[in-house]
Amino acid sequence: MATSLSIVLAIFFWLVLPVLIPLISWLLGRWYQGRLMQALESNEKQQGGLLQSEKHLSTSSSMMSMTAESSTLLHVSICVGPSWGQIFFMWVKSLFGGRLESYDVVLDYGRREVLMRLNQQAKAMGCSSIVNIRIETSTVSFAKNNNSSKTSSVEFLAFATGLRQ
Amino acid sequence: MQPTNISLHMSNVETVPGRTIVSSLGLVTGSTVRAKHLGKDIFAGLKNLVGGELKAYTELLNESRNEAIQRMMMQAHSMGANGIVNIRFATSNVAAGASELFCYGTAVVVE
Repeated sequence: MATSLSIVLAIFFWLVLPVLIPLISWLLGRWYQGRLMQALESNEKQQGGLLQSEKHLSTSSSMMSMTAESSTLLHVSICVGPSWGQIFFMWVKSLFGGRLESYDVVLDYGRREVLMRLNQQAKAMGCSSIVNIRIETSTVSFAKNNNSSKTSSVEFLAFATGLRQ
Repeated sequence: MQPTNISLHMSNVETVPGRTIVSSLGLVTGSTVRAKHLGKDIFAGLKNLVGGELKAYTELLNESRNEAIQRMMMQAHSMGANGIVNIRFATSNVAAGASELFCYGTAVVVE
């Protein structure tokens, strides 16, 4: 009786838990990140087209800067991380290679969010256009001793010059 | 580091829009190395359960980057500059558990 119980427990700890936790995390993460994405989309809409307009937002230091009255440096950064579930499925997927869709979503979210916030900051500082935008990506894992799978995150930094016309 | 009230014209384009550059004084840099905060790290780790933004890290890095910018500004100020152009940022993992935030630019005197 005791041995069968211990076998059941062993199976639970070694087989069920390592699959169950990522699964729960994946489901929770899907729900949570879906909500974040919705919030981002409504925010982008609220800002109204500024993100799409090439006149106000550009990666080059174009002629726009010649006519400006004053300028200011803008910089925003954000750390995003995938959920444990996504990390787990990524690991499974990496056995076969190919596109890592779950990671795509996380990175796409981070990059859009950082641009949205840059836009917000520009508006708050009274800038009418943003030029010379640079977006940088770096891995930020403060984890020690190779347990980086526990906390893994990517930092997006966007910086630009805001112009007041 | 004490917050300073130095006000400089900063931009990441080659000029200060709306102003004329009189002279260039050379390179200025600022950097900070930040280690994790254990408590924050644990919470950030738990946040990885659902993924998304890790606010603790965002704040930590923002704080450090502002400090790096402050240092760069102080260096420029002590050189007698009143503007910094062509500012660039760089982030690197220098050691396990720490990351360096670095910014650099060209100190200039503008009208």
